[in-house]
Amino acid sequence: MKEDKGDRSIVIETISRLMLPFIQLFSMYVIIHATCGPGGGFQGGVVFGSSVILYIITFSLTDGRKRFPELVNIVLNSCGLYIYLGIGLLSILFSAGAAQYLNYGFIPFTGHFEENRALGIELVEIGIGLIVMATVASIFFNLVHKAEPRNGGEETD
Amino acid sequence: MKRLPILAFILIGLLGFLLIYAYEDIPVFGDPDAPPIKYTKLFSMAAQGLEDQLNQGLIPKELISKLEERGFPRPSRVESDPGSQNEWNVFIPKEESHYAKEEKYYFILKEGNNLTVYRYAFVVRWIEKGFEETGVPNMVTYGLADYRSYDTLGETIVIFTAGISVILLLRRRGKL
Repeated sequence: MKEDKGDRSIVIETISRLMLPFIQLFSMYVIIHATCGPGGGFQGGVVFGSSVILYIITFSLTDGRKRFPELVNIVLNSCGLYIYLGIGLLSILFSAGAAQYLNYGFIPFTGHFEENRALGIELVEIGIGLIVMATVASIFFNLVHKAEPRNGGEETD
Repeated sequence: MKRLPILAFILIGLLGFLLIYAYEDIPVFGDPDAPPIKYTKLFSMAAQGLEDQLNQGLIPKELISKLEERGFPRPSRVESDPGSQNEWNVFIPKEESHYAKEEKYYFILKEGNNLTVYRYAFVVRWIEKGFEETGVPNMVTYGLADYRSYDTLGETIVIFTAGISVILLLRRRGKL
């Protein structure tokens, strides 16, 4: 944890400290807002993943790993897919014999058919967002890690 | 060595000409009535006598036999289009395995002395029925996550696989 702070800029550190929560909040807004405006799981997930990348660039790879451990990364990556597949499986189970195609409307979230469909879309987008966020973060973590020994133990710039 | 650039030049010129030739058929951007977006042309038939039947809401026998000959679904109801005089919308009946409700399927246009029968493209139904079926106002989202949900599931699995393979290939255990 205690590395030399020689090549750290206090301006970049302060600005990214200020901006990180807003970037993450914005990414959640993009995911949740997908049903009534521009946005969606893919876009929101990439924005969240890039906030993790900003943290690693500003601070160090070790700090980034402390905030976002590999186990959490893998669990989130799989959780997104399980949410998506689970919604699909639920809709298959509940609409057996009744639907013409895979239909979220038969999952009893609420009493209203169209509302169920909108909620199903919402949950699917959250699942996509989790997968994309974890994948973007894990690609950056592992690529930076790979280049580490060549540059003498410190993260690349 | 000297012939290659000339050949390439001729090829590029031909490609450019082909592009200009094909440009005629590309629909105008954002035009809602462009053929690939709105309809497919099926056939045309003589208009005499049929027009009155269509206006009264009756389906002409010739139309039914011509449609069945080509293997298209049998129409159930005709309704003149509210926007134009010489246009009729033809519906097909509810069929449990394919359509939960009555579907707007064909439209007939009077062109000169002929009636031309068109089939609506899927996108028309997507645009008109999407909000009332899913309750989501964003057309892209209900397309992505509801109508084409299997497609998006495949895309998501691709991304998941990419993430897992990056972890498996590039990770060094215990170095951090």
